[in-house]
Amino acid sequence: MSVVSRSVGNAFRNKIRTSAVVIILAVAIGLALSMLVANQAVASKVDSLKASVGNNLTVNPAGSRGGLGGGEPLTTAELTKASAVEHVTNVTGTLSVRFSNAAAETNTSTGGNGPAGGQGGPGGGFGASGTTSLESAVEPGSLGQRNNSNGSSGSSPDSGQGPVAAPAGFSIPIQATGVSTSTTATGAAINVTSGAQLTDFAAESKQALVGSTLATKNSLTVGSTFTVQDRTMTVTGIFDAGTEFDNNAIYLPLAATQTLTDQTDQLSSLTVTVDSIENMAATQTALTAALGADKVDVTSGSANLDSAITSLGSVQNISLIAFIASLVTAGLIVLLIMIMVVRERRREIGVLKAIGASNRTIGAQFVIEALVLVVMGSVVGAVVAAFSSNPIANALVAGNTSTSTTAVGVPGAGPGGAGPGGGFGGGEDFTRARGAFAGAEQLIGTVSTSLGWQTLVFGVAGILLIAALGALIPALLTAKVRPIEVLRGE
Amino acid sequence: MLTVTDVVKTFNSGDRTIKPVNGVSFSLEQGSFAAILGKSGSGKSTLLSLLGALDKATSGDVVVDGVNISTLPDGKLTAYRRDDIGFVFQAYHLIPNLSAKENVMLPMEFAGASHATRSQRAAELLNQVGLTEEMHSRKANKLSGGMQQRVAIARALANNPKLILADEPTGNLDDETGEVIIALLRRLAHEKKTTILVVTHDQALAAQTDRKFRLARGKITEDTKNPA
Repeated sequence: MSVVSRSVGNAFRNKIRTSAVVIILAVAIGLALSMLVANQAVASKVDSLKASVGNNLTVNPAGSRGGLGGGEPLTTAELTKASAVEHVTNVTGTLSVRFSNAAAETNTSTGGNGPAGGQGGPGGGFGASGTTSLESAVEPGSLGQRNNSNGSSGSSPDSGQGPVAAPAGFSIPIQATGVSTSTTATGAAINVTSGAQLTDFAAESKQALVGSTLATKNSLTVGSTFTVQDRTMTVTGIFDAGTEFDNNAIYLPLAATQTLTDQTDQLSSLTVTVDSIENMAATQTALTAALGADKVDVTSGSANLDSAITSLGSVQNISLIAFIASLVTAGLIVLLIMIMVVRERRREIGVLKAIGASNRTIGAQFVIEALVLVVMGSVVGAVVAAFSSNPIANALVAGNTSTSTTAVGVPGAGPGGAGPGGGFGGGEDFTRARGAFAGAEQLIGTVSTSLGWQTLVFGVAGILLIAALGALIPALLTAKVRPIEVLRGE
Repeated sequence: MLTVTDVVKTFNSGDRTIKPVNGVSFSLEQGSFAAILGKSGSGKSTLLSLLGALDKATSGDVVVDGVNISTLPDGKLTAYRRDDIGFVFQAYHLIPNLSAKENVMLPMEFAGASHATRSQRAAELLNQVGLTEEMHSRKANKLSGGMQQRVAIARALANNPKLILADEPTGNLDDETGEVIIALLRRLAHEKKTTILVVTHDQALAAQTDRKFRLARGKITEDTKNPA
């Protein structure tokens, strides 16, 4: 019989007490494991959220977004200024333009329905910067007609045509983006499905990437040619952006786009890469200050990201604290039980010492006995955690997001003051806050948990460590038991 | 050979100093069977704890085979108890959830003997003290008082000690069983040349021993009226 087998035997000496201790330990350990699982699930969710948005900021001319709004275009000088801002690791500029179909353009021009050329003209709401031989893959349909007619009503009120009709033979313009690297305007890599990325970014470059539906519509393959203004471009690759709208587009080298559309030195947006997601807010402020709040709008990938990450961060903190608290509870349970056991067996410890057992042997026997209890508790606790971790994680996430909503909503009523106006103001703020958090909730989605072996090993190792510490104090107490205990009371 | 020279043990109880053992001196030859007689509270158990290195004397020397255990550090005292002393207690003090054999194997485990050696020797010792084979694997708390005391004696003999100290070994037994236990101790002392010192207030037991000492108020005297 060795120390280990003796310890295991001792752990089962009082079966009722052992069962009770194992059940209590299992609850504490199950809770600790559930919290660890929730913590890790939330951490991976935060990582995936951060990865999904990335650490990019977009700079647009103030008052403009995409093809809408107004204001002055950005310039290369502003790109240089943005590059000098702290925490900025990279800045790329893009120029978005539209090209109308050259053949349709000729028809409408001869019809005399509007001013010639690409400036506003028949494009109306779709103001084009030039012409191309490419034919749009998207049919105008009702939406295209409506958008175009609305534009016509605004741009040529005195033409006598009223807001009713779009010109006959109207087609959707082709979206072209001038890029200086092989990335989209939002900084993501262009998904080229055949051929190669752009390599020549010079002003006289003739390379172009064509969207998949546009290529099909115009029977283009890699190596085919088409014209932009008066330049013949060669298709170096076909890309797939995932949507019908985005695939009805082309990518051109930035300098070539600027030259072809006579917009030298102009940019429609800047994509700024920040060194880490934590510096996003500070860099956004710094960029706005550097470039001028009246000149640029700086936006991050997602307005809801911050609130989503904040609420998930609190869940992560709560679960971490609960994990540690449960571990300490498990440790305390072991500590108290073992103190009780040592007190109960004082005389037996005295006997063991009297017949020659060393303090180390006796201490080890009690530590192993405690570990046997903890291992049994861990096994049952793991089963408890397997069933409870998912509901606990989801309850924590749901509970925390709604708590934040209320917490943000209430102060909104304060500044509104007394009276019905104040009440209404408060209500409005509340709704807005709810809206923001609803967005955060949508971003968070569901946090799915899984009891992976890594989590299990990490959790059980932590529990065993705490249990060993919990058992160590009682084990040290055994060293204080004097062998003469054996004669006490005789 | 056990030599005790002017051993004193004092305790502080409040503002009083108690001397349960006050200048005790005697010596025992190897293989002798001796008894220390005394009333309750005469200091018998205290003297036994000093001889068995369960406690340290305030002054004086206890020399076992030339080694003065009064001056040994704690670590060596553990080794001394393990290798040179065997204890037999009035309440047996076996480990209740271990079998008779496992109880006898314990001191040998602490001494580092292999499992096979321990098992074989434990079986031999249990046979020597008259415990039949079928009792060897029985849990200690399922044995009768007499059987438990036999197991305790076998456990005391496990590491071939030089000295066996028995504290009221028959105190919890009926007369008949007590007689058997005394006869067993006496036989072991003579056959194995082990010094056995029994502390008791039982005159009948004391009558069976080679030498008798009386302890009263911390002082020891040898009873020479009935020498062995």
